[in-house]
Amino acid sequence: MKNLNLQTKAQNTWCPGCFNFVILWAFQEAIRELIKERKLQKKNLVVVTGIGCHGKIYDYLDLNGFYTLHGRVIPTAVGIKLGNPELTVVGFGGDGDTFAEGIAHFLHACNTNPDITMLVHDNQVFALTTGQMTPTTEKEYKGPSSPEGKKTNPINPITLALAAGASFVARSSATHKQHLKRILKEAIVHKGFSFVDILQPCITFHNTAPYLSKRIYDLKKERYNPRNFDLAFQKALEWNYSLDQKSRIPIGIFYKKRRETFEEGFFQLKKPWYQVQRKVNYRKLFHH
Amino acid sequence: MRKTILIGGKAGQGIAMTSTLLGKIFANAGFYVFNYRDYPSLIRGGHNFNVLAISDSPVFSFEKDYDIIVALDQNTINKHKKYLKKQGFILGGKALKSQKLISLDLERILSAMRLPPIFGNNILIGYIAHYFGLPLADVLRVIRREFGKKADVVSKSIKFAYGIKLHHQEKVRKKRKKKYFFSGNEAISLGAIAAGLDIYFAYPMTPATPVLHYLARKQKEYNILVVQPENEIAVINAALGASFAGAKTMVGTSGGGFCLMAEACSLQGMSEVPLVVYLAQRTGPSTGVPTYTTQGDLKFALNIGHGEFPRIVVAPGDAKEAFLRTIEAFYLSQKYRTLVIILGDKHLGESHFSFDEIEKPRVQSRDFLIKNPSPDYKSYKITKDGVSPRTVPGIGPTVRASGYEHDEEGITTEEEFKVSQMTEKRLRKIESIRKEIARLDPIKVYGRGENLIVSWGSTKGAIIDSLKKLKGFRFLQIIYLEPFPWLQVEREIKKAKRVFLVENNATGLLGKVIREQTGILIKRKILKYNGRPFYPSEIIKKIK
Repeated sequence: MKNLNLQTKAQNTWCPGCFNFVILWAFQEAIRELIKERKLQKKNLVVVTGIGCHGKIYDYLDLNGFYTLHGRVIPTAVGIKLGNPELTVVGFGGDGDTFAEGIAHFLHACNTNPDITMLVHDNQVFALTTGQMTPTTEKEYKGPSSPEGKKTNPINPITLALAAGASFVARSSATHKQHLKRILKEAIVHKGFSFVDILQPCITFHNTAPYLSKRIYDLKKERYNPRNFDLAFQKALEWNYSLDQKSRIPIGIFYKKRRETFEEGFFQLKKPWYQVQRKVNYRKLFHH
Repeated sequence: MRKTILIGGKAGQGIAMTSTLLGKIFANAGFYVFNYRDYPSLIRGGHNFNVLAISDSPVFSFEKDYDIIVALDQNTINKHKKYLKKQGFILGGKALKSQKLISLDLERILSAMRLPPIFGNNILIGYIAHYFGLPLADVLRVIRREFGKKADVVSKSIKFAYGIKLHHQEKVRKKRKKKYFFSGNEAISLGAIAAGLDIYFAYPMTPATPVLHYLARKQKEYNILVVQPENEIAVINAALGASFAGAKTMVGTSGGGFCLMAEACSLQGMSEVPLVVYLAQRTGPSTGVPTYTTQGDLKFALNIGHGEFPRIVVAPGDAKEAFLRTIEAFYLSQKYRTLVIILGDKHLGESHFSFDEIEKPRVQSRDFLIKNPSPDYKSYKITKDGVSPRTVPGIGPTVRASGYEHDEEGITTEEEFKVSQMTEKRLRKIESIRKEIARLDPIKVYGRGENLIVSWGSTKGAIIDSLKKLKGFRFLQIIYLEPFPWLQVEREIKKAKRVFLVENNATGLLGKVIREQTGILIKRKILKYNGRPFYPSEIIKKIK
């Protein structure tokens, strides 16, 4: 199929060996498979990206796209979905993007449940601005803005998303590409706000690859049931994003539940707005 | 004939409702009416008042010179009695104290009719309508139109009021043609609807909130969507997202909320996704004086967002202009893929104005979308007029929007040639827009005379009303403030003998813009910055 080529002319400028290449591959594969399975149409897919290394993925995908502001991926994506409910909207954000600048939008999307997918390239560092700490960076991290070490504990996006009511909460890792592809497919297909925290070593500023590869395990192999909220919360607390030596790191779908989406709450959202025709008699507007 | 009625009381007593209803009754009877609303930022208690100016000739402002004070509490009398005309009277309940008081035993009437205290307002309305000799049937027609199913009980109290013995009657001659009567905020809402608005995004903020409420109420009637996101940043970014997907979108806010939108305005400039913003100004920096008026955000609107990009700023001067200019705002934003700021203020938004007729809009708003784009469609095609033809995702070809500098396809670029080429493409739109708005009356001149008053926005009403008493004065109203119609402005100012700048702000912002755009310095400035609009007499006094 000719239109399955998702390549663009853009020259890739990620560091050689960057785990973003894995995320790009997994996403492209997920899209190709979903299109083959007739669960998705390329023309109806829109990607939204924030600012940071992850954002460059906008240039590397031959898909409809909106390269938006730092932290504003989610409201832009929600707007696109409201503007045309027939579109499949996938947001890409960084950990700084989503959990620092854009945390309010993240929590509200978990609560309001728009049918969009939010993929966070969580490398636990600001990479494109040369290595400063983010909200998910471990305590004591020494970076150019924290030479004496980060003073605070990292936040745990999984527990945050669960507490805020997200209907699809998953974690995967760029170190496990087949797992990542599978989770991305499930996230995109899920109706409602799907959040995937993608653990990603930054080979230049925050190389967690050795740490992650030793500790990651797949929830699916434990016959874990993602429909149990209490269990999900327990599992989410198993690793708190500090790079401690004793924890194991579960990856997979923590929680999944079908509930009413944000758009389903609006009677108006039946078709794309550009197809809506109205004839307004402007004098009658005034009920004169 | 000119009558000025002040209606005052505590917040929660239905002051604005009462005044607006009385205004509608008089407009329906063929009178020109201007309705001013004054309220502090609180929900219950305090002091609210409205002023209705009723006339048989057009009126767009009021003087603090009242024929009647309708008092719902003693405080209203204490505060305003010094502005009551010698032959004027105060209307209110029995408990009030004033030598000028015509008291109605509202408590007894209401308990006899088994109605709650708020219906006392209808008794007062009925009394005033009767006092001026308006036919009861006409009043009841307005009540039915306004209240629908709930009209019966209101009508009952109005009818009762008509049975009360008048202390005096002052019949006014009935004009034939009824007037349109609506507020600036209603006009902006209706203008948006007439222009094909699909989604309105807003976070509550006075004095733009009435648009949010009005459009929310009208969702079913007009098949529009109203969304209230978590903050103003989400508001504007979601609006850009929805617009990218093909919806006609508008956001509304006041200064503080607009501050939060600054970055996304810049994103609009780069991404060229159409967007209309309604900016309703309120007094002061920061929280300021939230429920009062100003023209303090002119420079802010002209300059919002970092970087250089085209934008359009249009400032309607009354409610009819607000309606027509909002339609133009949508037309221009869609056609030129640009940011259009409708710059209003509390005085424009929350005052009611009356008109004989609503003219046909000069433009028909449409989406300017290509519905059958070719497979090699480019989102940012370089064109002579700077406008890249627009389509939406979902039709076929890849559609892109980007806040990063990009090439014609929307792919990121930092190449020197392409950066300047795309910058020039975007900025070429300014001249294209300038040509287009030249035929949309970017300025208006009223009256005749060798001297000139220059102003913009909601000061129009008081200036127009003051012209009647100023011999030898014209009024130049600048409606499009960006792209600035400098040639026409320069011509008007140079023709004039004496020039006065009138602005509802402390530093004469339009004067600064005129100097920047034409080199002309206007030295005579009449400025007011206490949160209240101009009264015509103030302008007349300062000019003479």
